[in-house]
Amino acid sequence: MNKSMLKRMTHRTEFWIFIVLIIMCLLIQAISGGQLFEPTTVVTILRSMIVDGMFAMVCLVIMVSGGFDLSFPAIAALAYSLSTTICLNNGWCETNPIPGFILAVIIGAVLGMLNGWIIAYFKLNTMIVTLGTQTFFLGISMGLLQLKEITSTLPKSFKALGTSYLFEVYNSRGLRSTMSSLFILFVILVIITSFVLNKTMFGRALYAIGGNEVSAERAGYNVRRTKFILYTVAGAVSGFIGMIRVCLASQSIPKALVGKEMNIIPAVILGGASIFGGEGSVFGTVCAISIITVVSNSMLLIGIDTYWQDLFNGAVILVGITVSALQAMRRKG
Amino acid sequence: MKNYFAKNKYTALLLILLAAVLLFFTVTQGSKFWSASMLSGMCMQFPEFGMITLGLMFCFISGNIDMSFVALGDFAAIIAVKYIVAHTNDTMSNGAIGGVIFVGILISVLIGIFGGFINGILVTMLNIPPVMATIAMSLVWQGFSTALTRGDAVTGLPMLYSEVGHSNVLGFIPFPLFIFIIGFVIAAFLLKCTTYGEKLYMIGTNAKAAKFSAINTKFLIILTFIICAVYSNLGCMIMVSTMSSAKADYGSSYLMRCILILVLAGVLPDGGYGKIMDVLFAIVIVQIISSGVNMFPQINTYYASLIWGGLLLIVLILSTKMTGDGFFAKKAVKKAAAANKN
Amino acid sequence: MSEYLLEMTGICKSFAGVHALDHVNFAVRPGSVICLAGENGCGKSTLVKIISGVYTKDEGEVTFEGHKIDKITPAEATKLGIQVIYQDLSIFPNLTVMENLAINSEITAGQKVVNRKRWEKTAREALSKIGYDIDLYAKMGDLSVADKQLVAICRALLFNAKLIIMDEPTTALTKKEVDALFKTVRQLKEKNIAIMFISHKTEEIFEISDDVCIMRNGKNVYAGKTADLTREDFTYHMTGRKLTNDKFVPKNVSKEPVLEVKDLSLKGAYENVSFELRKGEILGITGLLGSGRTELALSLFGLMKPKSGEIRLNGKSATISSPMEAQRLKIGYVPEDRLTEGLCLRQPIADNITLSSLKRLSGKFGILNHKDIYKDAQIWVDKFSIATDDPHKYASTLSGGNQQKIVLSKWLSNDLDVLILNGPTVGVDVGAKQDIHQLVHELANDGLAVIIISDDLSEVVQNCNRVIVMKDGHISGEIGSDDITEDNILEIIR
Repeated sequence: MNKSMLKRMTHRTEFWIFIVLIIMCLLIQAISGGQLFEPTTVVTILRSMIVDGMFAMVCLVIMVSGGFDLSFPAIAALAYSLSTTICLNNGWCETNPIPGFILAVIIGAVLGMLNGWIIAYFKLNTMIVTLGTQTFFLGISMGLLQLKEITSTLPKSFKALGTSYLFEVYNSRGLRSTMSSLFILFVILVIITSFVLNKTMFGRALYAIGGNEVSAERAGYNVRRTKFILYTVAGAVSGFIGMIRVCLASQSIPKALVGKEMNIIPAVILGGASIFGGEGSVFGTVCAISIITVVSNSMLLIGIDTYWQDLFNGAVILVGITVSALQAMRRKG
Repeated sequence: MKNYFAKNKYTALLLILLAAVLLFFTVTQGSKFWSASMLSGMCMQFPEFGMITLGLMFCFISGNIDMSFVALGDFAAIIAVKYIVAHTNDTMSNGAIGGVIFVGILISVLIGIFGGFINGILVTMLNIPPVMATIAMSLVWQGFSTALTRGDAVTGLPMLYSEVGHSNVLGFIPFPLFIFIIGFVIAAFLLKCTTYGEKLYMIGTNAKAAKFSAINTKFLIILTFIICAVYSNLGCMIMVSTMSSAKADYGSSYLMRCILILVLAGVLPDGGYGKIMDVLFAIVIVQIISSGVNMFPQINTYYASLIWGGLLLIVLILSTKMTGDGFFAKKAVKKAAAANKN
Repeated sequence: MSEYLLEMTGICKSFAGVHALDHVNFAVRPGSVICLAGENGCGKSTLVKIISGVYTKDEGEVTFEGHKIDKITPAEATKLGIQVIYQDLSIFPNLTVMENLAINSEITAGQKVVNRKRWEKTAREALSKIGYDIDLYAKMGDLSVADKQLVAICRALLFNAKLIIMDEPTTALTKKEVDALFKTVRQLKEKNIAIMFISHKTEEIFEISDDVCIMRNGKNVYAGKTADLTREDFTYHMTGRKLTNDKFVPKNVSKEPVLEVKDLSLKGAYENVSFELRKGEILGITGLLGSGRTELALSLFGLMKPKSGEIRLNGKSATISSPMEAQRLKIGYVPEDRLTEGLCLRQPIADNITLSSLKRLSGKFGILNHKDIYKDAQIWVDKFSIATDDPHKYASTLSGGNQQKIVLSKWLSNDLDVLILNGPTVGVDVGAKQDIHQLVHELANDGLAVIIISDDLSEVVQNCNRVIVMKDGHISGEIGSDDITEDNILEIIR
């Protein structure tokens, strides 16, 4: 039994992704002359993982159900820019950020509902539907509502929340870095996602639908309702993540998240999710997001120009999916 | 004629939509809409994304999707423009510059062949799902472009390039339109009159069955990715002539627009289906909407996103009514059932 | 209480004015095995869907355990104790065996949170019902079809099923696995669970069923004890015509072999396979699933590369590296799974027929005239009497037998020396089966060398003049013309 468990473990993508993460960290640590594991670097990397990591959770849950969502950054962008604009115009959120968050969550949920309605009730190709909603949402924020960038006038409570920290660290040269308190929210979302996917019938429904939709329906799941709820919740969470981004960046730029999905989706797939649905785990996704974040944050440490960052990201993903494709072919024989 | 529309209900529907769009803009904009400058403007614009759409159509029919064409096209355009800029100067004759431009375009095409080949290899030899493979390649090409240009536009093209781009062939056909017509004729010929086209539809319907029917599916899919990339790179070279420069994120809205056109024409990446005439009508409809909307002064460019996104969603929802479980299919079933009974 | 568990009388159901079921009577005795038989499209599946509550009946009466039931919903059917095991088994390949077993009852119980211990208990309970043992944590997708089926049966038993409906359960099973399945069925019978078995395989029906109900064109034409029926009667009721069983006798066998296989080996698939094939022969290759028979065929068609050994065609050594090469060497292959490997269903019949002969139909540079495709296809439609009025229609509009004729004509429109048929009549009804066999006999007598790979022993006995039996990748025996009987073959297989 023990041996078979070991075998089952080594057959999983998550296991290898984890190994790759460790090897890569050690490698960068060696090349950069020990800069990676300095407390300031670690804190910076963890901080820049908050938003991407949270988006990855949303993306993972949708992928497990067999969907392919391109619209979650657009939902987040519309939700936060509309929410901050409303807050600004009404003078809300100067001391308490919660109304802004609630507003963004509601807006996100409404937008997610549109996704859910089209996908669940018309059974269309999710990628094309979300490509449409993504563009549609961008059109709403930039065309219809003409939402403006909010930088210096951003409500104070958002800024305060973004700069609040759990602890501060100093590196050998006396540089200070702070661990944002919003990191806690990332950890909470990871725990919730893991709980929902593994310990609730809703989560198992997502795996079941991703594995075989017809069977899930026959087994007694209400597939339509499940999908509708899924996309609505995903929209709400996206809106929430959008607000976190506003706080961290101390600004609200409607266009800021355009194209973000193209970085998140490949990372989630790198972490073991299948675009055909039914596969994927929180652990693998967190590892994959860590790899991407570590790579892009340590470019400067190992002396590479930041303009090469995109190329490195692309290369990591290309190599990652190629290796896992080769592995799948070998397993098949 | 009547027979043709009875057989091609969808084409008839597209023509009705086209007429409706024309009517709308004629009513709201009056004669301004039918001015010569308007028409020539349209003919200058649609060949760009029209060429890209034709390329992507091949991919869709074969049951694949290419998400990398914008990034690859931009990369190729950057290299081509860099080459042209480096090899021309003010003292050169037009003939010599023309030669350099020709080589530049050839470079872009060669990069297209290479990029399409890599996509094809990833999909056929490594069995990576096409969406994934091409998104990854898109990131790589974009990475190259950013690294090469540091995110800036590459400028300094000789005047001749945009002059040719704005010239007329035979006195009245804008040069980009001329290129598009050639591209369209070649695409129509490939799809309708060659074994390649016939096999493409069959591969798109069931690639495994095609393989078991002694068809070289791997080669043909690689070829299809190459055709797609070459078409879209040529489209990007037309874009260079309107922009007079090349940049890493030009044309990023085209992914959306091309997919919209194909969905409007009933071509889905599920494969096996696609009529080139429908695609042509869809291209024209989208161009008319795009130009017509621009005539409203109070509308900014992002309004277009709203319209494209909304239109795509509406078309998608309506298409479920037309095919699949929709009323057309139900009628067909009823008809067949009635015929069986008799 | 009546003697029947389920009794249905005068059931009618029509779709868009077409009668799918026309006053059908059907009854199941508790603890018995009843077989619902009939050709494709006779209304079998409609009847099943009415019982399971997917469709509602237009007319008629349903009584279950003596109670009249007006309207059945799927949930109610489950509550009554009716369970359907569909052909695709309704399993989740990405989940573990445990989850597959427990998930349905967890949903029915309205659970919201996953409790691993309870799931495991449920799963063990399910397995214990038929005393079946399997690793609960194995991934469902990694199991064999037979194991998947047993898991599906165990799952159905969790609901205190009184009637289990199995939709064509034996299609993807080997003989050995069918035996195991039947053992389980008998076990269930002893527990007073009624089994409704949907099939069109004559042998299996006679082996397992107590009662039989035969349907044709939406009506039931026979209902009664299986023992009262002869095989000839059965076939007559199924097809509505008398069939003749002509055994194949080769007429002109060539002297020189057209295909020679010498010591062909592929590790993990087959080893040291040698045989010869002459023109005019029909060679049968049989063996259990996993005996290497399909892999051997794929190697002869260029889809699997053999590690060592030699293939000679017309006396010359040949390397078959791809299907294209096989086609050039005049080898054709009709694959095992018609729907996924044989046909482009959503394309016209004509385009499917001509798919492998486009080179012949096209001019220089691959230029093609679509009229030629339809002209060429019409020849084959007429020749094989493929039941369609217009070859422009999709291949999906045809029945299994006619679809198989398309796949056959796809290869026969090429100039062939060797034709390999893998499971040529799987999922084909009795009438069309007869047509296809007749056709193959004619082809062989016209000088084609044919290989039939099949685990339908009666098919092999009836159609082959020589049979090779494969076992664990080796040829374990060869039988010549007069000795070919089902018993002789079974002796070697076992």
